[in-house]
Amino acid sequence: MSAAEPGRTVALVGNPNTGKSTLFNALTGLRQRVGNYPGVTVARKSGQCDCGDGTKVELVDLPGLYSLSASSPDEQVVIDALSGHLADDRRPDAVVVVIDATNLLRNLFLASQLSELDLPVVLVLNQADVAAEQGVKIDADLLSRRLGGVPVVLTSAWKGEGIAAVRRAIGEALRTRVRMPAVEWPPLVEEALADVAAGVAADIGRAPGRADVERLLFDSTTSVGQRLGWDAPRREAVIRAARDKVRRAGYNPLAAEPLIHYERLRRLLEGVVQGGGNRTGGSAAVDRVLLHRVFGPIVFAGIMLGMFAAVFWLAKFPMEWISGGVDWLKSVVAPTLAGLPMVQSLVTDGMIGGVGAFLAFLPQILILFLFVGILEDSGYMARAAFIMDRLFSWCGLNGKSFVPLLSGFACAIPGLLSTRTIEDPKARLATAFAVPFMSCSARFPVYALMCAAFIGPLYGPGWESVVMVGMHCVGLLFAVPTAFVLTRFVLKVKPQPFVLELPRYQMPKPRDVLWRMWQNAAEFVSRAGTVIFAITIIVWALSYFPRDPAVEQRIRAASPGAATEVVDAQVQSAYVEQSWMGRFGKAVQPIFDPCGFDWKITVGVLASFPAREVIVSTLGVTYSVGEGAEADSKHLQQVMRDAKWTEGPRIGTPIFSLAAILALMVFFALCSQCGPTVATLAQETGGWKWAAISFFYMTALAWLMAVAVYQGVSRLA
Amino acid sequence: MNFDAVLIGAIVGVAAGWLLRRWLAAARRRKEGGCAGDCGCAAKIQPKK
Repeated sequence: MSAAEPGRTVALVGNPNTGKSTLFNALTGLRQRVGNYPGVTVARKSGQCDCGDGTKVELVDLPGLYSLSASSPDEQVVIDALSGHLADDRRPDAVVVVIDATNLLRNLFLASQLSELDLPVVLVLNQADVAAEQGVKIDADLLSRRLGGVPVVLTSAWKGEGIAAVRRAIGEALRTRVRMPAVEWPPLVEEALADVAAGVAADIGRAPGRADVERLLFDSTTSVGQRLGWDAPRREAVIRAARDKVRRAGYNPLAAEPLIHYERLRRLLEGVVQGGGNRTGGSAAVDRVLLHRVFGPIVFAGIMLGMFAAVFWLAKFPMEWISGGVDWLKSVVAPTLAGLPMVQSLVTDGMIGGVGAFLAFLPQILILFLFVGILEDSGYMARAAFIMDRLFSWCGLNGKSFVPLLSGFACAIPGLLSTRTIEDPKARLATAFAVPFMSCSARFPVYALMCAAFIGPLYGPGWESVVMVGMHCVGLLFAVPTAFVLTRFVLKVKPQPFVLELPRYQMPKPRDVLWRMWQNAAEFVSRAGTVIFAITIIVWALSYFPRDPAVEQRIRAASPGAATEVVDAQVQSAYVEQSWMGRFGKAVQPIFDPCGFDWKITVGVLASFPAREVIVSTLGVTYSVGEGAEADSKHLQQVMRDAKWTEGPRIGTPIFSLAAILALMVFFALCSQCGPTVATLAQETGGWKWAAISFFYMTALAWLMAVAVYQGVSRLA
Repeated sequence: MNFDAVLIGAIVGVAAGWLLRRWLAAARRRKEGGCAGDCGCAAKIQPKK
């Protein structure tokens, strides 16, 4: 068969962290994000997959789940998708179940449950290479025969092994439509299931699906009754009677399902799996050190310090090359636009100055994500989460909060989406409230600018990484007590145990690490070329206009004998001060005066509310326009180092004192300055109430802490 | 009005209009149950009511 069948859909399901997304990427050629810890995929993603014979199907990657008993929103997505209850979706035509070959018995439980969905199935035993390394031999043909001909394929998705066989197996499953054989329930349990089915049919007037009946009988809480429109009081009576029958069969009704499935699976796997033993092996020995109560946190802090030191050290020269390139571009472009002074200023001070200041941090972003990718891919990040869990559990956050909070360090939006893995809605809300405190990559250029311009030159290069680690901890330090108050006193969240399946250690895959680095770099450059570029133009216009010629005439008339460069600088400075941006900044500056911010920093802070990284380009523009031709030959960092107060009690002293730069960094670490994050919080919490509370709380906290830091450090200094 | 000012007006107008259009599109996406970020992804997970 070679005709394209665009209407066919195949779902990819499996336990968390079995390599579903890696397999999805290999089958579709897409680049869905993968992670070496559970919970990375929280929404459905789809791509086109070739079945090897020209047949095309839509492959849907779904979040990981351990069973069909949904307890969290992401698990519900999978069950809804498989049963055709997801908006805009119909039931898939087949299911590919991805199974960790090193832990066949536990992973097959989900596949065994799927037999009740009456869908053609392909079993993919992934990480077969690791199983072989552990001495585990799997007879895939025997397993397939025992399952009545269900295709069983051994793969190593990250090595690209067995992918062609999976394609063929999908095509075969669609043609032969072989289902997983249904489990044989003991007679009394079967009778109980029939009673529930009859009860539902009698009340709603149609027969329910077998999978729905099982959920109603075996799960303590389920939304199936509500979805079917089965009346609650009548439902409870029928289910109670059916569960009594299950008890008479010798089973606890809420534990019967896994017990019966596992009995069946043990019989099924006899002779299929041979060998194996200690599956953790070397990982366990390494974990004795890395997860040690004392050494674990020390190693973690050391790795973080080393990472930031390497980021600064390795990025130093590329950053200088980019800054040099920006200056060269300005010097080349400026003369060509000499006849159009306004356009000349827009292009050199606004576009090149603003976007160039932002782009100078590209090498640091690249190197940072290279290290993060290595740590994630090696399996260390999950260990870091385990170490951090001691802190989380103290503040009452759910154990599953670690993935959202960890994701929040890259960007708050995927972090907020990851909260869907948390079952308890109150714990989910508390975690969502804590996520924006994590120091996302958009804060990085702000810290990097301050560290590179002031901390390094003033205190030595080693202090740059110390301050960077410190700034990444500031958000965490405030997220923990905030979550503590929220979980204990406001939401009253019940503590829940933390269960985390630690992935095995592995050599980072260069392709995945480099791809993630490339993705982040591309996003950074794309933002520079789109949002940052557009905002830079607006900021330039606001800091350039109005331009009253009387200002220049007055200054030139007042200083007849002064050097031309001095008068030019005075004129540029006066123009910026009387611009719309200058007037606005000066009007608002008293609010930020206790934080040590002058009007230009104030303008940068206010312009950064839609996206925090905008401050770098805004400072680039305001200082370029304000300094005029002089700034063209100096990097933004030097211009900032030279900036001094021109009025008030601090006249003549540097604007960017140690107190002011620490206050500015603390303000950015805590303030809610990201429009999409606020909108995502509103979406994920089901309304604007918590998003508004989060915005005002974080902004007020940021201001208070910036004042405390500025006043405290000023007095100490 | 000179050519310089007209050019500046056009550039600033296009930039402001583009930003406005982008934010409106993101708001529309959110309303339809799509991803609330401005990443442009098509993630959509709202279950059927």
